[in-house]
Amino acid sequence: MHKFAPSLMVISLGIALAGCQDNGPQDPKVTIDKNPYPSTYKPLASTSTLITNATVLTGTGERLDEADVYFVDGKVQQVGKDLSVQADNTIDAQGKWVTPGIIDVHSHLGAYPTPSVASHQDGNEMTSPVTAEVWVEHSIWPQDPGFNRAREGGITSLQILPGSANLIGGRGVTLKNVPSHTMQGMKFPDAPYGLKMACGENPKRVYGSKGVLPSTRMGNMAGYRTAWIDATEYKRQWEKYDSDYAAGKNPEIPHRDIKLDTLAGVLDGDILIHNHCYKAEEMAMMIDLGKEFGYHSGTFHHGIEAYKIADLLAENGNCAALWPDWWGFKMEAYDMVQENVAIVDAVKNSCAIVHSDSDTTIQRLNQEAGKVMYRANDVGFNISEQHAIKWITANAAKSLGIDDKTGSLESGKQADVVIWNQNPFSVYAKAEQVFIDGAKVYDRHDEKYQAQSDFMLGQQ
Amino acid sequence: MTKLTKTFSLSLVAAGLFSSVASAQSIAIINATIHTSTEQGVLEGASVVIDEGKIVAINPESINADTTVDAQGQIVTAGFIGTMNQLGLVEVGAVAGSRDGGDDKASIDFDPSLAFNPRSSLIPYARKGGITQDVIVPNGGESIFAGLASVVDLSGSFDSVNQKQVALVVHLGEKRKGSRAMSMKTLIDKLEGHKSAKKDDKKDPTTEQKILDKVLSGEMPLIASVQRASDIYELVKLKDTFGINLVIHGGDDAVVVADTLAKANVPVIISSMANLPGSFDSMHANLANAGKLEKAGVKVIIGVAGDSSHNVYQLRFDAGNAVSYGMTQQGALNAVTSNIADVFGLNSGAIATGKRANLVMWSNDPFELKSHVSKMWINGEEVSTEARQDKLRERYTTESAMPRAYTK
Repeated sequence: MHKFAPSLMVISLGIALAGCQDNGPQDPKVTIDKNPYPSTYKPLASTSTLITNATVLTGTGERLDEADVYFVDGKVQQVGKDLSVQADNTIDAQGKWVTPGIIDVHSHLGAYPTPSVASHQDGNEMTSPVTAEVWVEHSIWPQDPGFNRAREGGITSLQILPGSANLIGGRGVTLKNVPSHTMQGMKFPDAPYGLKMACGENPKRVYGSKGVLPSTRMGNMAGYRTAWIDATEYKRQWEKYDSDYAAGKNPEIPHRDIKLDTLAGVLDGDILIHNHCYKAEEMAMMIDLGKEFGYHSGTFHHGIEAYKIADLLAENGNCAALWPDWWGFKMEAYDMVQENVAIVDAVKNSCAIVHSDSDTTIQRLNQEAGKVMYRANDVGFNISEQHAIKWITANAAKSLGIDDKTGSLESGKQADVVIWNQNPFSVYAKAEQVFIDGAKVYDRHDEKYQAQSDFMLGQQ
Repeated sequence: MTKLTKTFSLSLVAAGLFSSVASAQSIAIINATIHTSTEQGVLEGASVVIDEGKIVAINPESINADTTVDAQGQIVTAGFIGTMNQLGLVEVGAVAGSRDGGDDKASIDFDPSLAFNPRSSLIPYARKGGITQDVIVPNGGESIFAGLASVVDLSGSFDSVNQKQVALVVHLGEKRKGSRAMSMKTLIDKLEGHKSAKKDDKKDPTTEQKILDKVLSGEMPLIASVQRASDIYELVKLKDTFGINLVIHGGDDAVVVADTLAKANVPVIISSMANLPGSFDSMHANLANAGKLEKAGVKVIIGVAGDSSHNVYQLRFDAGNAVSYGMTQQGALNAVTSNIADVFGLNSGAIATGKRANLVMWSNDPFELKSHVSKMWINGEEVSTEARQDKLRERYTTESAMPRAYTK
């Protein structure tokens, strides 16, 4: 019996699946490489470092006065008062403040770099409303001087996203903000990819003017739904291929489609949604859209009206990445309130983030968060510095799926650290020293640690 | 004293979105830290009296006013003045029907102040930043000449255009198509042509001719929007040649020719936040530039970059950042008050007898993120800082069993 069982099975399946060309010896298994452009990032050389006597905002909601931060081998080891450790490098930070490295979840550095000449406009593949096949990492110019300016403002990690012209604009990538002459040299190891989606005015304007769908908001929704239906079918085909192959069959290889690879990656939970979406009613629909197709609707970016649906966002586990005060440049940006972040933040299980979407404000996310904190406190909120810092550190890390690695000063986390000359929520605050994975990458008082882009070198 | 505190809290609650809290009465602000924006510098424990829209006394021996406001040591400055934006000329940037700052046909005689809307929602919002006046400028059309700048106040009243035709704006420097040399030639030809034209006494001069008369006599400043050092240098030569009253706007690379600008007495309107090489014209944009220009002796005006119509309220933070990167506190204050008044001939921008009573009382250092406007006065009348944004916030943070639409 046993001897014959396999051939019997082959015969019976062969009958059942006649025409599927899946009998006979197996061809080599086709597996999609999910990481074809792998990170080559290596932390810069570091020594064990002890920062003493600082006001420390840990990113976990705590504030420690006169405290020390100790990191070694690129990892935070201890944070507390009067640490009894010896370090190769001890920094007296009396009167200074220490925070986790600042994280911007929304940047176009490298893809829309400076100088912003036509040759550098690489952030929007404006040729089709759904371009999930493009990866913004393939556009990044690592010599963008903006990366250096951002580091001088304490930015240690950032997500680069494609623009918002398309319903589905392509993959975003998370970078460590270290100088490198390749994209791979900056790529944050093991960070999940993001997928940029866009609601509202931009896609319907761009494609409406070309006379193709979408020209309306209902066209936008139809466009997303069509894409997710295709992705669902594609995912099914590959899952069937994998299971048939595992069952010993020789199934036909599904046609490879890099657009649908990315969308299926979202459905698999490997790729996180980052959705440019300003208006309350649109965000509410995008949450349902995710449920319709079985993926999580992720982080809403630029949600000018997020304060109108703060409860809904928290209930559904959505982060909201917001500006403190940009407004009025288009209709969907008209209902700005300066306390937006604080209102979203005030709900239980919320995830409020201050983001930039700008090569200039990325240099001052600390001030951007400060504006929110003070305006909210002016009208009766009671937000502390140790809480507000989460908007640009821990919550941002959560949105990017890297909160197990960075975003707070906790033992075992990557030592991404900023020393500020004073309370970072002051207009006069400046990052003095910036560390990434324990290595000093910027020092305001030491030119040796001030990186310069190839582009700026030798200009007069 | 108690009466005053009450007036303060009531005014915040009761003031409407658009109305100024009318009072033709005289007001004395006492016990203030007055930053005068004049040679008098900072006056501690000082008082200022305003009446009929003007500042009538500083530190008088006896105070005689209808109302007295105890500043309790808070800082009082002259109202801040925005520049180079389309405040009141735009409501929503992408809504064409709400934009009146430019026109394809705009040229030397284009005066957008005819379209100024004091009821724009941008105006109360801008007051949150202590902005009491603004130099509005056309954003132009096809010509290098964008048109004429005007000065408005932020009272919200229908007669808030204070001075028309305070400057002519010209766009130079890099072009999307063609050579910048052609723009410069157009400017030179226009000035040269007008200078050498024979006056026809029988004909009334056109608006354009009248404007060019004023530009060539130096009475009307010529604001040149330009970044690159070599372009700025060429313009300084034009100033020499024609005797024009040149003002540089942009000036990302002005620091390279700072001494030339100082010597030629050319003011610069700069964004203190610019520090990226946005183009090959801006290779020297840097946060330290405002301070460096100040040090070189250039009269600096700080303007908000980008969409400065919606964001002019941030002017004070830009000034704070300028200080952080090397400008003096006094220099930064002048850069948002008195320097603007000097350059455009306004009777404001300083706390001195006879000046327009545009005053702001601040909870703390006006440049700091944490501070806010405690009280402000435009033309001697108290105005509210409540804006549409506050109504929206209150609607969505007030508990109600009814839909939000019923919360007003």
